[in-house]
Amino acid sequence: MKTTPGHQHPLTQMIDEINHIFAEIGFTFAEGPEAETEHYNFDQLNVPKDHPSRDMQDTFWFKDKDVSEPSVLRTHTSPVQARFMESHGAPCKIIVPGKVFRNETTDATHEAQFYQLEGLHVGEGIHLGHLKGTLEHFFSKFFSGKTEVRFRPSFFPFVEPGVEVDMRLLEGDSKLAGKWIEVMGAGMVHPNLFKAAGIDSEKYSGYAFGMGIDRLGVMKFGIEDVRDLYTGDLRFVNQF
Amino acid sequence: MIVNYNWLKEYVGAALPKAAEVDRLLTEHAFEIEEVTEVKVNAEGREGALGQAGETVIDVDVLPNRASDCLCHRGIARELATILDVQLEKDPLADEPSLTQTDKITVNIADTNACPRFTASLLTGIEVKESPDWLKTRLESLGQRSINNVVDATNYVMYAMGQPLHAYDADLFPQVDGTWQFGVRYGNEGEVVEILPEGGSDEPRRVECVGTELLIVDESSNTPIGLAGVKGGNYAGVHAGTTNIIIEAAHFHPTITRKTARRLGIVIDASKRFENECSRELPPYGQFEIIELIKQIAGGEYEGTLDAYPEKQTATAVEVRLSKVNALLGLELTLEEIKSIIVRTGSEVVDKMNAEGREGALGQKDAETLTCTGPWERTDLLIEEDFIEEVGRLYGLLNIVSVTPDADMAAAVNVRQYYSEQVRQTLLAAGFSEVITSSFQKKDIIQLRNALASDKSYVRSTLTINMHQVLDANFSHTDLLGIRSVQAFEIGTVFSKVNAEGREGALGCKTETEVGEHLSLAIGVRQKGNGYTPKDDAPLQAAIADLQDSLGVDLEFTIEKGVAEIDLSAVVATLPVPDAYTPMVERTAATYTPTSSYPAMARDIALWVSEGTSAGEVINALRTPAGDLCVRIDLFDEFTKDGRTSFAFRLVFQSQSKTLTDAEVGEVMDAVNATVEEQGWEVR
Repeated sequence: MKTTPGHQHPLTQMIDEINHIFAEIGFTFAEGPEAETEHYNFDQLNVPKDHPSRDMQDTFWFKDKDVSEPSVLRTHTSPVQARFMESHGAPCKIIVPGKVFRNETTDATHEAQFYQLEGLHVGEGIHLGHLKGTLEHFFSKFFSGKTEVRFRPSFFPFVEPGVEVDMRLLEGDSKLAGKWIEVMGAGMVHPNLFKAAGIDSEKYSGYAFGMGIDRLGVMKFGIEDVRDLYTGDLRFVNQF
Repeated sequence: MIVNYNWLKEYVGAALPKAAEVDRLLTEHAFEIEEVTEVKVNAEGREGALGQAGETVIDVDVLPNRASDCLCHRGIARELATILDVQLEKDPLADEPSLTQTDKITVNIADTNACPRFTASLLTGIEVKESPDWLKTRLESLGQRSINNVVDATNYVMYAMGQPLHAYDADLFPQVDGTWQFGVRYGNEGEVVEILPEGGSDEPRRVECVGTELLIVDESSNTPIGLAGVKGGNYAGVHAGTTNIIIEAAHFHPTITRKTARRLGIVIDASKRFENECSRELPPYGQFEIIELIKQIAGGEYEGTLDAYPEKQTATAVEVRLSKVNALLGLELTLEEIKSIIVRTGSEVVDKMNAEGREGALGQKDAETLTCTGPWERTDLLIEEDFIEEVGRLYGLLNIVSVTPDADMAAAVNVRQYYSEQVRQTLLAAGFSEVITSSFQKKDIIQLRNALASDKSYVRSTLTINMHQVLDANFSHTDLLGIRSVQAFEIGTVFSKVNAEGREGALGCKTETEVGEHLSLAIGVRQKGNGYTPKDDAPLQAAIADLQDSLGVDLEFTIEKGVAEIDLSAVVATLPVPDAYTPMVERTAATYTPTSSYPAMARDIALWVSEGTSAGEVINALRTPAGDLCVRIDLFDEFTKDGRTSFAFRLVFQSQSKTLTDAEVGEVMDAVNATVEEQGWEVR
């Protein structure tokens, strides 16, 4: 009997698609460790110790005996921004899809582990308009229909100005069509990050964004409970 | 932060639009709004100050960088005035308060970095009683219980202006040499402080110091009376018979406050405000406001205030360049436009050219620079980018114009993604499905310091354990999935102890000082429900052979009871770096329906049809009688003999809402059999 092909997990399907969409416009898929130092996960991202901005992310810590410097399961993919800028300098254009961890109670929209998509574009003359255009391009391809994006004020320690991003699918019969949906946080790279990476913030500017890939799956496929992504249940996976 | 609409209106005045418009303006220009609701606060039939039965409250999600000035009504009102480009009709921060100095109160501050400012006011001859209705209404609308006029006044001023305050009974607070003596110092290790009761208890909470917490003490006896910035105690507490009071308003170091609050698990409105570092200029404004309020609602005389503020904080002047503003926002604003927006925030803006008073002598660059100093309560406006954010959001982020992206740089190929995807496509073609499982384990090598649950306290060092569970758990669903064996794979990160160079050594070896990680690949096969059989190895070996062909290398998997695992990072390191990604595989649009939690039931039917009748035709004919409960029909056997073909089908039944009974499924199968007869087929 002919072999019936298996089913690819929706997260890796989405990551493959995200990578292809961004590679076409010059973004390199970058990566970093899931066991990350406090230095890169927080300090170098302008999130100082004992600062209220650390409250935004509940963190899993490794024991001191297992590590030579304080380390965590990364709470976001943003440390890869800091690492990449430090190692590659400017200009640079990267996406970072990867697994992240939060020490939070889980429910249908929260898991202790999930996937995030980070984006960073540093160059001469890069501004919020580039961020908006890039995101509109991405969403339009990813959701297969013209999509517009709008910004609202927000705060993340690693960007200034910081924005909240809403998207609206303008076409198609998808349930998403016509509605503004809050999808991610973004902004212009904070000068402290440039300084830490040794990049001249007078010459270069850049934007960064971060969103949950699990949440993109909720929107794209109608997944009702993000925890289903990590059960290893083929009744779930084989629908994709 | 919950704010009361009428309270905002008191500050903003007639220019304040309706609540729905306030919602829109704050959302677009400042903060997200959680909700706008009407709350009933006059349950006892009291008439509110505004004679209304309900109060409109707005739940504002104040951003962390604005928690220093916007966790209060005045802050939100000021923000609205800035957005609306109007002046506040009433502004408690407008004029520097003139307070009478008193030498009846003293303070000894051990570390002025930890407590840069300490103020205390004395009021005499007051009457503790119920608060007036308007005050009750305001506090109740925020979900706060009214206690008495003095305590309510301290809370009111905190919600009005963001300054936490604490009231003491001056007659219960010992006086030495005619003075009330306060002290602010660190706690001694083992020293016990009694703070106000928590969690419904009537007993004060006893906190043992570790030495890092800042205490307010009665200096005369060196008795701790409160955890500075975190929580006060019952020492010299205000009671029904109190007539003379001392009101404290101070500024404590945000980090010290936060550390103590975190250690003790205390998050209250006052500690939250101290943690977010309100301006050091605020305490006297808070004093002025509460003195006026106490006189109004409790009577009495104001005697004077102690204000210990040894090092005045100076505001930061920031140079804001026109070119930088437009460069980050992607706008084409003029210097005048930028100036008028920054002025709206209450900042002082000096045109550099005018300041020098020598037009023409300065270069063009200076002519396009503004020197900006934020209003004293805005402790967040410290660098040029902070002011650029103000310009962007007040001008309107909706006005940002998209720039179409281009491939100005070439994307480098990520080898791990490239080869992981190649491995995936190879295994999918071989009939394996992909899973992603938890990175946490009940037991493994590396334990986390703070785990979610005892069965998730380690990070995984292998994918094999989870793969065995995947095989076990899915085998019972093979009918439902229409598969005969479970074949799955996972690509994921695993963690291990490594030495400083990143190499794995023997376990427990002292040179392993780091948590190392690599990408691992696990493949699993299960053909029998009761566990591994040696037969499972054949499809596993075949899949490995496919991978070797595809990648062009020999792969040394560890194989254990139907599960094979390999260090994929190590494999990828030996492979050539490709020039470009392969084109994306075509994927059909999937829509997902939640899995029923009720068990599935399978029934087989074998029948003869005349040769030439396809399985598809038969399945189509069976669909109608099989009905909605039948979730799949799979052909599992066929042969042709003497001009007839035999098909064997498995029908799988499952309900989204209940466990099916034999009888229910039997009824459906009767209908299926009837159809078979009608079609002239013969059940075997």
